[in-house]
Amino acid sequence: MKAVHLISKFHHKYMFSKDSKLEKLKDAETIIGSSIKVKGNFQGQGNIIIEGSLEGSLKTDASIYIGNQAKIVANTESKDIIINGEVRGNIKAKNYLAIGGTAKIYGDIQYGEISIEKGATINGQLLMLTEEHKRSEKIKAEEKNSAEEK
Amino acid sequence: MHVYIYDDYLNKGKYQKSLNRLEIRLTDLGLNGKIIRLGGIKNIKSAIQNEIRLGAKTIIAVGNNQTVNKIIGAIIDADLYGDFQKKTLLGIIPIGEDNSIAASFGIKDAAEACNILLARRIEKIDLGLVGNHYFLNQAVIQSRGTVLEIDGYALESGEKGEVRIINLLSEREPSIKSNPHDGRLDVYIKTKKKDITCLATTRLKVANPDCRLLIDGVMEVDTPADVGIMKDRVNIIVGKDRLFE
Repeated sequence: MKAVHLISKFHHKYMFSKDSKLEKLKDAETIIGSSIKVKGNFQGQGNIIIEGSLEGSLKTDASIYIGNQAKIVANTESKDIIINGEVRGNIKAKNYLAIGGTAKIYGDIQYGEISIEKGATINGQLLMLTEEHKRSEKIKAEEKNSAEEK
Repeated sequence: MHVYIYDDYLNKGKYQKSLNRLEIRLTDLGLNGKIIRLGGIKNIKSAIQNEIRLGAKTIIAVGNNQTVNKIIGAIIDADLYGDFQKKTLLGIIPIGEDNSIAASFGIKDAAEACNILLARRIEKIDLGLVGNHYFLNQAVIQSRGTVLEIDGYALESGEKGEVRIINLLSEREPSIKSNPHDGRLDVYIKTKKKDITCLATTRLKVANPDCRLLIDGVMEVDTPADVGIMKDRVNIIVGKDRLFE
């Protein structure tokens, strides 16, 4: 029952509707188009949209949107992640993870909250981050911020 | 004291009428000053630097993008750059083609440029840097075969199109958020498949063995080339219709 409630809540907040991509595009600071190949450690501070391919690692403090043509071979870490494409690597969504019907995931997944649409492929372990995890992540982030300020 | 730097291409007869009109207008507004014609000068750098040493309050580029870049190139690396940044302003009077830099600052033509010089609205602007060359607007290269190395990752496009490294837009483009005060370059890649990539960075390396990087539409530079940005580097007199906040 709790799982159903979570999914419904997530659907309202993080959409699988046709318009969802456009909304994300407006907000994104970084967009990687479908003809682009990225190799290396890709890090950002704002929202990231990936429509192309990426090998290495992918990390931001905000949100990541992975389009249905995207191919990611990387460990992916962010606050919120929406996946419609292929991801080979471990995924950590500290807050919400939305997995669309076209998503193919080969790797372990850590999440705060999750929603999975019918048709998605997942090959890996799913681990829900506990409140303790989240607290320790928050402390780490605060320590990192204060160190950067100094 | 105002110092007007006339680019050498203005020696052509077809620009004579425009220059006459300009000089009359400047005199009417009380903005007349010393004129330096680059056509007759071999060492442009030392001529411009000398005027700053003599106490020029405003250096005005009369010409096009290349004129502006020549003046910035003459000043930015010089020992007197500190003095220039504190005491001297850069103005632009566009004449002829290739005037995207003036357009960015809301300066449409020579007549409007005179009124803008009189109003003296000043903005501190970032300056893009490709190797030893400076740019205000953008550096452009074809996308196919171009590799961009940025902070620990490399980015490559297999499609035909254009890579633009933007400091300051020359025309309004709502899809690109570019700000010449933010100390960042906006990399914008658009391919023929209408595929768009955009990101912001402070420095990158551009490499393409088959083509060169075009700076501000007037100068070509070989790659690989390091591209960077220097924040708030030049004080420029701008119009109220400039393309940035």
